[in-house]
Amino acid sequence: MNGWHGRLLHVDLGRGRCRSESIPTALLHAYLGGRGLGVRLLRDDYHRDPADPDLPLLFAVGPLCGTVAPTSSRLVVVSRSPLTGTVFAASAGGPFARRLKAAGFDAVRIVGVSPQPVVLTLTPHGGELRPAAQLWGKRVAATVAALAEHGSVAAIGPAGENGVLYASIVMGDGEAVGRGGLGAVMGSKQLKAITVAGDLPTVVADPVRLESARQNVMRLFRASPVLLGELGLGEFGTPAFVDLMAQRRLTPTENFRKTHFPSCASYAGPALHRAFAPLRYGCDDCPIECKKRTAQGLALPEYEAVSHFGALNGIADLQTIVAANALCSDLGLDPISAAATLAAWGEMRGRFPRPAEVGPLLEAIAARRGDGELLARGSRRLTVARGRPELAMAVKSLELPAYDPRGVYGMALAYATGNHGGCHLSAYPIAHEILRKPVPTDRFSFAGKARMIKIAEDSNAAIDSLVACKLAFLGASLEEYADLLAAVTGSEYSTQALMVIGERIWMSERFYNQQNGFTAADDTLPERFFTEPGSSGDGIAIPPIDRSRFAEELAKYYAMRGLNSQGGFADPAFLEYQP
Amino acid sequence: MKTQIACYGAKLVSDRVAAPGRVALLAQDDVLLHYGADDLVTLGRELLPRLNVTALAIAAPARPCGDLLIARCAAGDEVIVPRDTETRTFLHDIPIVRRPPDGVHDPAHLASLLGGRKGIAVEGLGIIATGVTPEQAYINVSSVYHALFVKLLLDLLRDGVRTAAEHELLADLRREVTAAPGMEGLSFRPGPLLKPEEILDEMARVGRYTVERGLVDSFFGNISCRAGAILYISQTASSLDALAGCIDPVPFDGSSTVGLTASSELPAHRRIYEMTEATTILHGHPRFAVILSMLCEHQADCRVVDCWKDCPAVRYLGGIPVVAGEIGAGGLAKRVPPVIGATGRAIVFGHGVFTTGKDGFSEAFRALLEVEQWCQRDYFRLLDTALAASPKR
Repeated sequence: MNGWHGRLLHVDLGRGRCRSESIPTALLHAYLGGRGLGVRLLRDDYHRDPADPDLPLLFAVGPLCGTVAPTSSRLVVVSRSPLTGTVFAASAGGPFARRLKAAGFDAVRIVGVSPQPVVLTLTPHGGELRPAAQLWGKRVAATVAALAEHGSVAAIGPAGENGVLYASIVMGDGEAVGRGGLGAVMGSKQLKAITVAGDLPTVVADPVRLESARQNVMRLFRASPVLLGELGLGEFGTPAFVDLMAQRRLTPTENFRKTHFPSCASYAGPALHRAFAPLRYGCDDCPIECKKRTAQGLALPEYEAVSHFGALNGIADLQTIVAANALCSDLGLDPISAAATLAAWGEMRGRFPRPAEVGPLLEAIAARRGDGELLARGSRRLTVARGRPELAMAVKSLELPAYDPRGVYGMALAYATGNHGGCHLSAYPIAHEILRKPVPTDRFSFAGKARMIKIAEDSNAAIDSLVACKLAFLGASLEEYADLLAAVTGSEYSTQALMVIGERIWMSERFYNQQNGFTAADDTLPERFFTEPGSSGDGIAIPPIDRSRFAEELAKYYAMRGLNSQGGFADPAFLEYQP
Repeated sequence: MKTQIACYGAKLVSDRVAAPGRVALLAQDDVLLHYGADDLVTLGRELLPRLNVTALAIAAPARPCGDLLIARCAAGDEVIVPRDTETRTFLHDIPIVRRPPDGVHDPAHLASLLGGRKGIAVEGLGIIATGVTPEQAYINVSSVYHALFVKLLLDLLRDGVRTAAEHELLADLRREVTAAPGMEGLSFRPGPLLKPEEILDEMARVGRYTVERGLVDSFFGNISCRAGAILYISQTASSLDALAGCIDPVPFDGSSTVGLTASSELPAHRRIYEMTEATTILHGHPRFAVILSMLCEHQADCRVVDCWKDCPAVRYLGGIPVVAGEIGAGGLAKRVPPVIGATGRAIVFGHGVFTTGKDGFSEAFRALLEVEQWCQRDYFRLLDTALAASPKR
């Protein structure tokens, strides 16, 4: 089979069994892999509570993984989020994905709860469960080191074991399935880690066409100032965004009370360069190499982490921020939700954490000890419990990342409509509203944004199913990736064909959410953004978002999606028509 | 959005990409908005709902470059493959649709082709392109037109003029370039330019001049000015005729990444400033310079396959150096700076022209204009030579 193996590994932790199953070819063509395949495989179980032992945790790679297609060494983990209650899909890059594919599987479906901590070992011979009591309680780095001989490792830390609602799953090279608390789902199953090893090739239908398509993508990468320009992500990593967002006055500061943090240069891309002289590295095959690590192997934070441990908590100290990020990785915590929860707590208390307090607080969260017990539940539950729900800067309980919606109206809409909650990657309108790709749009206007958000959501759902890195699409487009996919699989795909697949995935997720109780009332932003201005200055005004205009555009969005005026499905049998 | 589609529809006509009255631009918001000729709008209405895009533009070009190229294609050809760098990078190839026997194009077929590429050439109709915004649909039509124009004129020079329609198009073009305005009516602020507000104002004005004089395709190109430790440069994807608010101040010392949105040619600009006495730089994609840069007398016996990016030689057009190199992080930024110092002018194979000025933008603009005018004259000189050597019609 070209592109896919056509197999998934079903792991029943309760019974201690693993078995290989075939995946119907029609499903692979209809959902591709990654997020799409995971969402499809969740269809019979989406209604299960995140704490239900039979809720599947799905790891899925895509048809491009294992080929020379740029940025395709990625996987997506799909389940229902304990933090948001929504269906959730989070992506990570690195050798783990490539080795999972090389073990001969397109997906791994994990159900049940093991009676004791285990590690799942995956090879071309299948899966094997090994006792892991000796690893339970260990941090990620120690766990990865202990399992390194078995191949690439994906592990949870103490946060996942202890059910922190924003626990992550960390890959051995530092990349993480960060958002949505899927590490807590893994921990609830007593699954400490997964190792993967294999050498099975991904069969490519037309290697010559693939190389030609790869060259087309590479030309676009090299032509992209954001990706490979001298101030771009290849040079500075995503912290290159710090200066830009500051200049545009949309840096979330002090729990989104402000949108400008004058001290942010202390942790911006150039500051990280001066302080750490970082080396470039990428997710296995990635030519962009946006990851940065020191010569000693310390992974440096991404933009979201530096900005949220920085401006959002009013902290300018670079060493504190880098250490906090590293600690999140080792404890298995999503740094965005961790930092945002601390910021909400800070505003509630009237005092943001001092730099010296951040590390101990993160430790307490991972252990659910002291204040950490409540902080481990995320900003919404924290603020509700303390009677200050208005201070949770989250949508559908997912803490917002480092783009203040008052300065980017497409992002405002995308936060609200996101199936996973307030995620920046569901539509990533920052691409056109700030980075001017593929064309610039007016960031202070809602005009045309409903359609653009819908198109981007569909497109990104397809990208997450190929699986490719969304940053790659700041240079390339689905047009080039459709050519890559056609070359790999031998089946013709076009941009529009991928958009149809993306729309199918997006609508399935929305349907799952609706059936689980989500309504139009959940498609909104925290009240602050409609009533309080941001930090105007340098000739840029940041007023509150016009609520009526926001509502008008949201109504357009529902209509464009074929939903009713309440954002719901007119046809309760929607899923029956889907492949 | 209604204003946008009218604006970009009119612009396709004023750019001479579309014939007057033969353009349509449609956009889907919650309702379908449209501008332009009724028959083209009717076709657009059939196409747009089949595509997950916001906007669609249809332009019957003022010059039938697409039809002439399709007529020169072999029977089985499904795409035109222009070799200029912009097209290689951003469009890859251009699907073609031949005129059906009954003259009526099948919307389903057109939509399926538009589902795979940004724009297509349709015989007897023109160019159709899509976009996530009306602006992008405009850009894609304009880019396809630029690619077709460059390829057709290159093919005519290389392979000979075959038909009366081709002769007619060339005669029309010759009249147009002969009558094209030069520097008259333009005014420039004398240098040195030091104050930020006067730099931004002058860049916006000169950017507009490059569009008005047809020295760019659609409105793409870039412009910069050095003032002390700051390099002011137009942003990526900015319109040279609308640069207000679209110029990034980039510190030379790398102390800030605020220039992340600067033009993809920032590395070339920076190195030109580092290696020469220039204080201003202009970069455009004037068509005849692009065409002539792709004519190389050594091509037949040269071992370099991808000469547009890999050719190590420096050739000369009228004393102006021509070098190869990719856009952005490719080789262009390495090859242009070493050769541009002597004349303040350099041409990039299949791409465009860089010019510099030591004191304000007048010198750089004049150089850009003169390079293109020289290339226009030389194109027709070469054409006349070729026509004289070929058998009479």
